[in-house]
Amino acid sequence: MTLEAAGFWVVAAVLLASSLAVVLTPNLFHAVLYLAAALVATGVVFLLLDSPFLFAVQLLLYAVGVMTIVVFAIMLTERLVGERITQTSRDLLNGAVVATGVFVGIAGFLIRASPSPPRPPLVADTTPALGRALVGPFAVTFELLALLLVVALLGALYFARTDE
Amino acid sequence: MSLTAYLTLAALVFAIGLFGVLTRRNAIGILLGIELMLNAVNINLVAFARFHGDLLGLVFTLFTIAITVAEVALGLAIVIVIFRVRRTVEADRLDLLRG
Amino acid sequence: MDANVWLPVLVLGLPFASFVLLAVVAPLRRAGGAAGAVSIAAIAPAFLVAVLVWGEGLGSEATWSWIPADEGPTATVGLLVDPLSNAMLVLVTLVSLLVQIYSLAYLHDERPASLGRYYTFQSLFAFSMLGLVLSPSFIQMFVFWELVGLCSYLLIGYWYTRPTAARAAVKAFWITKLGDLGFVIGIVMLWSATGTFEFRALFAKAQEHALAIEGLGTIMFLVYLGAVGKSAQFPLHVWLPDAMEGPTPVSALIHAATMVTAGVFMVTRAQPLFVLVPAVLALIGWVGAFTALLAATMACVESDIKRVLAYSTVSQLGYMMAAAGAGAPYASFLHLLTHGLFKALLFLAAGAVIHAVGTNDIFRMGGLFRAMPQTGVVFIVGTLALAGLPPLAGFFSKEAILAGVWEADMTGPFLMLALTALLTAFYMFRVVFVAFFGRAPAAGHPHEPSWTMRGPLWVLAALTVLVGIRLAIGSVGEHHGPGWLPPLSVAAALGGIVLAWAAYQRGALDPGRLAATFPFSVVDVLARRRYGLDALYAGLYRSFILGFSRLIGWIDRYLVDGLLNFLSAWTLRGGDLLRRIQSGHAQDYVYGVAFGVLLLLIWSQWWPR
Repeated sequence: MTLEAAGFWVVAAVLLASSLAVVLTPNLFHAVLYLAAALVATGVVFLLLDSPFLFAVQLLLYAVGVMTIVVFAIMLTERLVGERITQTSRDLLNGAVVATGVFVGIAGFLIRASPSPPRPPLVADTTPALGRALVGPFAVTFELLALLLVVALLGALYFARTDE
Repeated sequence: MSLTAYLTLAALVFAIGLFGVLTRRNAIGILLGIELMLNAVNINLVAFARFHGDLLGLVFTLFTIAITVAEVALGLAIVIVIFRVRRTVEADRLDLLRG
Repeated sequence: MDANVWLPVLVLGLPFASFVLLAVVAPLRRAGGAAGAVSIAAIAPAFLVAVLVWGEGLGSEATWSWIPADEGPTATVGLLVDPLSNAMLVLVTLVSLLVQIYSLAYLHDERPASLGRYYTFQSLFAFSMLGLVLSPSFIQMFVFWELVGLCSYLLIGYWYTRPTAARAAVKAFWITKLGDLGFVIGIVMLWSATGTFEFRALFAKAQEHALAIEGLGTIMFLVYLGAVGKSAQFPLHVWLPDAMEGPTPVSALIHAATMVTAGVFMVTRAQPLFVLVPAVLALIGWVGAFTALLAATMACVESDIKRVLAYSTVSQLGYMMAAAGAGAPYASFLHLLTHGLFKALLFLAAGAVIHAVGTNDIFRMGGLFRAMPQTGVVFIVGTLALAGLPPLAGFFSKEAILAGVWEADMTGPFLMLALTALLTAFYMFRVVFVAFFGRAPAAGHPHEPSWTMRGPLWVLAALTVLVGIRLAIGSVGEHHGPGWLPPLSVAAALGGIVLAWAAYQRGALDPGRLAATFPFSVVDVLARRRYGLDALYAGLYRSFILGFSRLIGWIDRYLVDGLLNFLSAWTLRGGDLLRRIQSGHAQDYVYGVAFGVLLLLIWSQWWPR
């Protein structure tokens, strides 16, 4: 068992466990913390796939940024409602059946797919290539993204501002 | 590890996220489920990029992450507005569009 | 453009301009008398120009393409100016002018807006009728044919608040429409066989014997049907007596002198085509003669003065048709012109009487000659002309018709027409003796009408005499007939007069007892019931058309509407059922998406390829 395989199994276990915790825990705040764990685990999966830059982005932008926003939202709503928000679930069985069905459907593809190609050797670090792609062929997309973020920011501001 | 392993992992996370979206009563909880599903998609993209030696998957992931952040920000802002107006974030009670 | 064209265009254009002016400028129309002045100011120069055109004997044909097609125009509009249309131009503009002047006094009690409407229609009618007589093609003739029909409808229903007038207008419209249907089918069939609507082209083909079309008989019969409706021939004559619900000047102009003669004019105009089908021509002759006799018997028992004149008109139209059918279009057209003069005179005089006594019933008039001698004189002049006594206009034209029919070896129609001549004199003098010399006191306070009404009467009376004298001096046309004919027709007329005198003035004969004896009793009973034709039509209308309408109504109400109601009800119910899917819960929609994804996965993997 290589180091990579061992790492994969560990990360997979952590990711699945934290994901399940996100959707099952009754405490919303805990769910957010479990989501942070799941996001970090995802970042580690990126690392295992030789993408350290994406790992960094995942940690910085996603795990930290999203977490901050969600925590703020929870605290804000809790403050407004004046009580702790607990969350309950509904129709657990139906949800489980449908989710399992979708998983089985995808798994069917994976089983019937042609045997996966062997992992090619890493040619070079992907980060410089990624950087070049962002300012080269994807420059316009990149800028549009920046625009989108600004619009999202303004939108969020508009929605969240108190009246008058 | 083979590509199939990574894809299976992603599929499992996706299914869990879907389960969360379907079952959570709290709007914020539903958003968390959506985050999980998007993450699963990102894993798929990166895995394909690595195993096929294609940079495109990584670029796409980067964009997805950024867009997701925007989506979360807006989604939560909407949740807060809904909360202000309806005094609840329970998805079951947000049924103004009932036919 | 030379005078041959623009003078007739002027005649046609003046009433049209007047119509457009009155139709567009509403304040002028609502002013009433001013509208009448405009209309008269347009028709008077038109009459003068028409006289000029007729006097100069202009002749021309001008056409402009109307419906362009690859191989030359499919249809043309234009003017056909020849002696036939010139004479009609003079008649139409003259009677129009006199009637419009007469109407100023006759309708002076009307509201100004109604009077303006009346003169608008009058102008439109004058334009339409002039357009009809100037038509160089069947298609243009049909267009104006329908226009005069429309004017007739509008003017019969002038007092549209009266139910009888409204019903009469609709009846006139539909019954003439029945004939027009045949007319339009006929001309379209003729066009599809020959490729032209134009009279000149058709006549040229007829002369070259290039018109040997299969079914020409049917085509010409259909064309003739239009004349049957318009000129009130049996069995479509029933609308004309009812059309008397309109104002009397309208009856004089449209339902005596001009529009109803359009059918005769058309048959005369298309004579070269009708000649090719002797069977149809014979039918025209027989139907015409039969119509003449039938209408004359009905006129004998009618007590409404206008209806007597209406039946007389039907009868005289029958005369003209009989002549046309006998191949004597000249006689037919001559009678059309003279009849137009003296029948307009009779109607206008009758209008003066009605205006004075306020009733149409001749038995409620009496001794009118003493009260209104001028009207009496002109009425008697018209009556003598209609009865056919020399030297008045009617004698020569009637005699020409009888000669034409005799020479065509149509003995049956000839006998019918001769009998009609007797009856004509009888029923007209019945009116004269009862209304003007009767001993019963007249209703109301009869008085001479104003000069605007008397003037046209005297003009028409003078013309009736003058045209008669002119005809007496000049040759009466190519048909002189056998030598015994003039004495016979004079004898028939005198016989009728003497009979009327004996029955209604002298009292030697009791009309009631005479009517009760066989064979007069049969005719009397039948004529009083109008030979059951009105009842027959009413019955047919009620049983077939109304029954059919009810059936259609039932189908519409219960099947068509039912189907739609059923559909709409189920749409509502279905929507009610389906809207429950829309729970408003976002997660339920996610379930939908997930199911959709599942279905796609299953389909893409396990669907048999």
